[in-house]
Amino acid sequence: MTAVDGVSFEVERGEIVGIVGESGSGKTMTALSILRLVPEPGRITNGRILFEEQDVVQMTDEEIREFRGNDVAMIFQDPMTSLNPVLRIGFQVEEAMAAHRRFSRRQAAERVVPLLQRVRIPAAAQRVRDYPHQFSGGMRQRAMIAMGVSNQPSLLIADEPTTALDVTVQASIIELTRELSRELRASVILITHNMALIASLCQRVIVMYAGRIVEQGPTRAIFKNPQHPYTWSLLRSMPRIDEQTHEKLISIKGLPPDLGKLPAGCKFHPRCRFRIDRCLTEEPPLDEVDPGQLARCWVLMKNVADPEAAR
Amino acid sequence: MAIAAVPQPDLEVIAYEMPEQVTLLSDAWRRIRRNRLALVGLSIITVLFITALVSIVWTPYPVWLEAVGPTFQPPSPAHPLGLDQAGRDILSRIMGGALITAEVGVGSAIIVSLIGIPLGLVAGFYRGTVDTIISFFINIWYGIPDLLVALILVFVLSDALHLIPRGVFVIIVAFSLTRWMDVARLVRGQALALREREFVEAARMSGARDFSLLLRHIFPNALGPIIVQATFAIPAAVLFEAFLSFLGLGLPSPTPSWGAMAADGYHGMDFAPHIVLAPTIALSITLMAFNWVGDGLRDAFDPRMRR
Amino acid sequence: MSAQATAAADPALRKALVRVENVVKYFPVGGGLFGRAVVHAVDGVSLSIQPGETLGLVGESGCGKSTLGRVIVQLLTATSGHVYFKDVDLTRVHGEKLRRTRQQIQMIFQDPYASLNPRMTVGDIVGEPLRNFRVARGREAERRVQEVMRVVGLNPNFVNRYPHEFSGGQRQRIGIARALVLNPTFIVADEPVSALDVSIQAQIVNLMEDLQDKFDLTFLFIAHDLSVVRHMSDRIAVMYLGKIVELGPSDSIRDKPLHPYTKVLESSVPVPDPDLEAARRPILLKGEIPSPVNPPSACRFHTRCPIAQKICSEVEPPLEMKENGRFAACHFPGKL
Repeated sequence: MTAVDGVSFEVERGEIVGIVGESGSGKTMTALSILRLVPEPGRITNGRILFEEQDVVQMTDEEIREFRGNDVAMIFQDPMTSLNPVLRIGFQVEEAMAAHRRFSRRQAAERVVPLLQRVRIPAAAQRVRDYPHQFSGGMRQRAMIAMGVSNQPSLLIADEPTTALDVTVQASIIELTRELSRELRASVILITHNMALIASLCQRVIVMYAGRIVEQGPTRAIFKNPQHPYTWSLLRSMPRIDEQTHEKLISIKGLPPDLGKLPAGCKFHPRCRFRIDRCLTEEPPLDEVDPGQLARCWVLMKNVADPEAAR
Repeated sequence: MAIAAVPQPDLEVIAYEMPEQVTLLSDAWRRIRRNRLALVGLSIITVLFITALVSIVWTPYPVWLEAVGPTFQPPSPAHPLGLDQAGRDILSRIMGGALITAEVGVGSAIIVSLIGIPLGLVAGFYRGTVDTIISFFINIWYGIPDLLVALILVFVLSDALHLIPRGVFVIIVAFSLTRWMDVARLVRGQALALREREFVEAARMSGARDFSLLLRHIFPNALGPIIVQATFAIPAAVLFEAFLSFLGLGLPSPTPSWGAMAADGYHGMDFAPHIVLAPTIALSITLMAFNWVGDGLRDAFDPRMRR
Repeated sequence: MSAQATAAADPALRKALVRVENVVKYFPVGGGLFGRAVVHAVDGVSLSIQPGETLGLVGESGCGKSTLGRVIVQLLTATSGHVYFKDVDLTRVHGEKLRRTRQQIQMIFQDPYASLNPRMTVGDIVGEPLRNFRVARGREAERRVQEVMRVVGLNPNFVNRYPHEFSGGQRQRIGIARALVLNPTFIVADEPVSALDVSIQAQIVNLMEDLQDKFDLTFLFIAHDLSVVRHMSDRIAVMYLGKIVELGPSDSIRDKPLHPYTKVLESSVPVPDPDLEAARRPILLKGEIPSPVNPPSACRFHTRCPIAQKICSEVEPPLEMKENGRFAACHFPGKL
C-alpha cells in the first residue's frame, strides 16, 4: 500500500507552507518522512529529501539524530503522548536542549524559564516544576513548541497542532507560531485538515489526496481560484461563519479513498462532479495551470462552464 | 473547452463496493490460526475430547476392574502403555481418564461461569449497594485458602453430610464454590467499563430496559475476556481433581482418574515407571494445551491487536 | 417573572416544545463524606426550544454543553431544575413512563465508533427501538429499517453487516437512522460531525437539514465548531463554565455579539479566505479556563474578560433580555 506517491515540493527559508488533506491523504506520512520517522513496517522506497542540499534519506543514524534535534523540530497533535508523564516539564525542555549538544547542561537550565515565558506559559518560573498532567492541553502544546524551538531549528513541522484544542486556544497557538516563525526566521510546514487555518497562517498551500499532491500554489490563488475539483469542492463544503445567505453546502459524495484499493486513472474521479472519460483511465500529471499554481487534473475548474449549477 | 457539471441528486443511495463480510468471530479465528502454539493446543484438546467421547462406548480393554494380563507389565505391542499394578490396560484407563478430565474441566468452567457472570454483571452494572455487597463477598472469598476449603467441602458434602456422592459432580461443585470470584470480578470490571460506553447510552435512548441492556449490549461485549477466563479455569479444575485424587480424597478407586492412576503408580516408580508416567504426561500435556489455547484466545480477542 | 424564566419562555417566541428551567448538574469529585468537591458542570441553565427550529448550543471544552444535552434527554438526572417536554416535566417522570418518552426524544451521538454496539448488525441496531417499544416486528420491522436506511443514504442491502465494516460517516448515518426510526419529534445531536472528515461533515450536515424539512424535526445541535453551528441553527446559545452567557438568533450573534465571550469566540474562528484573515486578528484571552470545581465568583468570565470591571467580580449578571429576542449575561453587553 503506497501511502505517499510521487510527492515533490519545496519550502523556502522563512516560508510558512500548509499541507492540507483528509484521512488517507498521506499528509502525515509525508511529514514523518522528512524526519525519517515513518513507523514500521512502512518505509521510504523512493526519492530524495534535500535539506540545505543534504539528502535526509541517505543520512547516517548519527547525522539524522543531529538533524532531528537541531535543524528540524516536529510538533504533534497530542502532546500527551510526546511528553513523558513522569518527568517535570522543565526537565524535559532542558533535556531537549542539552541532548542535541547545542547547549551545555548549565546553559540549557538557564534558558528554560525564559523559553517557557516566550511561549506564554503563565507563571513560568513556578510551572517549570510541574508535571505534564498538571498542564492544560493548550499549555502542553506550548511546552512542546518550546521544546521544538529551543534549539532554534530552521524548520518546524507541525502536524495537526491545534486539532485537539479549543478554538480560542487554537487562535493563540497559531499567533504564537506566526511570531516564532518570524523571530527565528524558521520555515514552518503546517499539516492540517482545516482549510481555514491554512488561510490564516500559510503563504503557500499543498493539497493532498490519496497520497498525491493534487494542487499546490500561493494561498491566495488556491483559495480564490482553485483549479482542482477536490480543492474547489472542499472549499465549498465548509460552512463559513461569515456566510450571509444560507446556502446548502456542496458535499463531496462518496467515501475517502481506500489506499489499498485505488481506482485507475485519476484517484479522485469516483467522487468528482466534473469528470470526463479520460479521468477514468489516465492519471493526470501535476502541471502548471497558472503562474506558480500546479494542479493534477484533466479538466480544471477554469474550463467548467457553470460549476455552481451542480448544487 | 467548456464542460457542464454532472448534476448530483440530493439524497443519493450510496452504491459502493463493500469488502467481503468480516465478523468479529471470523477475525478472531483468523488470528488464532496464525498462532502455532494455540493451534497445537487446540489439536490436543480435540484429541482429548474425541478420546473422552469414544471411551464412553469403547476402549481396547476393560477400564475398571478386570485384569487382562500380569501386573506391572511394561509396554508391549498388545498394550502400548503397559499394564498397571492390578493388571489393567493403562491405555484404556487413560482413555477413561480423559472422559473424567473433560467432565471436570468443562463442568467446572460452566458452573463457575453460571455463578460468576450474573453476579459480576449485576455488581458492575448497578453499582451502589448491590455492588458493595457482591464485592464484599468476592473479597472475602479471595481470602480463603481455596484448595484447602475445596478439600474440606468435598469431605463435608460427600462423607459428612452425604449430600452428594463422591464423584465428578462434588468435585466440580467444590471447585466452583471456591473459584467463582475470578469470573465474577472480571465480569464486574467489564460491566463497569461497558456501562459507560456510548452505545449503551444509545441503547437506553432506544428504549432498552435494564435486562435488555445487560443481555444484548453488555454481556456480548464482555464475552471475549469471559471465554478466556473460562478457558483458564479448565486446567485449574483439572489440576484440582488430579491433586485430590492423587491424595486419595477425590474420586474413589477404581475410577480411572489420572491423578488416582498416578497415585497407584507412585509406589512402583522404581521398577515400573510406566504406570506413573502415563497419566502424569497426559495431565501435563492437557494442562499445557489449555493454557496455550487460553493465551491464543486472549490475544485473538484483544481489540488493540486487530489488524 | 424572573429573568431566568424569561429565557425559558421568551414572549417573542411561540409555544415551546422543550423548556429547560434552572437546570443544575453537579458531579461529585473525589471521596470523603464532608466538604466533598463538586464539578459545577451545569449551573442554572434556562432556555426554550421551539417546534421545528434548530437551537445551537456552542461552547468550548468543559462548558457543560454535552452534560446539558444528556440532562435534557434524561440520560443524566438533574441535580435540580426542570425539563419540560410538551409541558410534561421529565424530571418528575421515572421508570417505565420515562422510557416511553424515548419514542419522541432521541439522541445522535458524537463518536461514530463508540455509539454503535460492535456485536450487533446494522439492522439490529437500527431496528432495536422498534423492538423495544413493540412498534413493529418481523417483516414489518425489516421494512421500516430498510426504509429509514434508504432515507439516510445507506444501502439497505447491508443490514447484516457489522459497524466496523463501515466508514465513520456511514456509521454516523447509522446512528441517525436509529434516531429516526421511531419518528421522534425532538432530537439532541451531540457533536454529530466533529469526528468526521471535512468532506463527510458536509454530507451529514446536509442530510440533517433535509431530514428536518422532511420530517418536521426539532434539533438541539451541540457543537464546539461555531461555523457549523451557525450554519445549521436558527438560534444559538453560548455556554461558558456551566452557564449560558448569550442566547439569540444565529445571525445576530454573529454580526453583533453582545457578550464579550461570544465576541472572542467569533473572532477566533478562522475563515477560509486569506484576504479576510490577513485583515483579522483574534482577540486573545488571557489565562486558562478556570476549573469547574471552583468557578470564579459573580461573572464567571471576569477573570479573562478584556473589559471586566469591578462590578463583574462582585455581582453576577443574570441572563436577561437586552434586545428583542436576544439575551446576554453581562453588565456591559456589546461593549467589546
